[in-house]
Amino acid sequence: MSEPRSPYKMRPPVLQVRVEDSMDIMIVRDTTRRAASLLGFSPAHRAQLASAAAALAELVLKTGEAHTIHLNGVVDGLKTGLQISSETPWLANFSPNNVLVALKSKMGDLVDEIILGSEESPTIVMVMWLNNSRG
Amino acid sequence: MALEVLLVEDSKTQAAQIKETLESVGLRVRVAYDGPDGLREAIANPPALIVLDVKLPTMDGFQVCRRLKRNPATQDIPVIMLTEKAGPKATMDGLRAGADDYIPKDIFASEHLIDTLQELGILEE
Repeated sequence: MSEPRSPYKMRPPVLQVRVEDSMDIMIVRDTTRRAASLLGFSPAHRAQLASAAAALAELVLKTGEAHTIHLNGVVDGLKTGLQISSETPWLANFSPNNVLVALKSKMGDLVDEIILGSEESPTIVMVMWLNNSRG
Repeated sequence: MALEVLLVEDSKTQAAQIKETLESVGLRVRVAYDGPDGLREAIANPPALIVLDVKLPTMDGFQVCRRLKRNPATQDIPVIMLTEKAGPKATMDGLRAGADDYIPKDIFASEHLIDTLQELGILEE
């Protein structure tokens, strides 16, 4: 099972869901809501994060191979947020710019940042930061 | 006296299931079976909370939510959308319409609904 990676310092909660079939999408959604709740996000922002994580889970499920969705807290200076990420090796042959455009078109309204990390294997990273209007 | 919830849901089967969940935590439930009826009920006798389906005949849940949030008589009533339309666009449409939460109708829906009722102060934790 893959390890979570992030451009930010990671903090609890650290959760992961193995996505193997469509039932797992519901589990991803549920786990994301719980992780967001632990960090103090409002119900509306939990709904946004859960929808983003479910969309990512649907995407990885379409590859036909099992993947892991990681959910973890992240810190950047004084900011705390929730990161949703998954390794996406099948994206290695695609243009990172095209992938980012497609991801932002589908999920850009749901989170603050979408990053395509490419240190070892391409990894989709989405982050929503917590602020006063979101807690 | 128990707080009252207005449930706007066109499916009688699903309305009965959601009503049972809400009553199991001590809430009273009134049911409206379409959007216009839900709006009339909310204005005539404002409930503590509105649980709103998206797919409704005549007027969909997004339209109902926008009208509730534009009306001074109902704009402060929390609205939870409980729906089968769970994709990113539908979620953002629901939240932009003013919903306080947007919960897909899946196997975790009852738990999420109760968590949100606690978060909104409708139920004690």
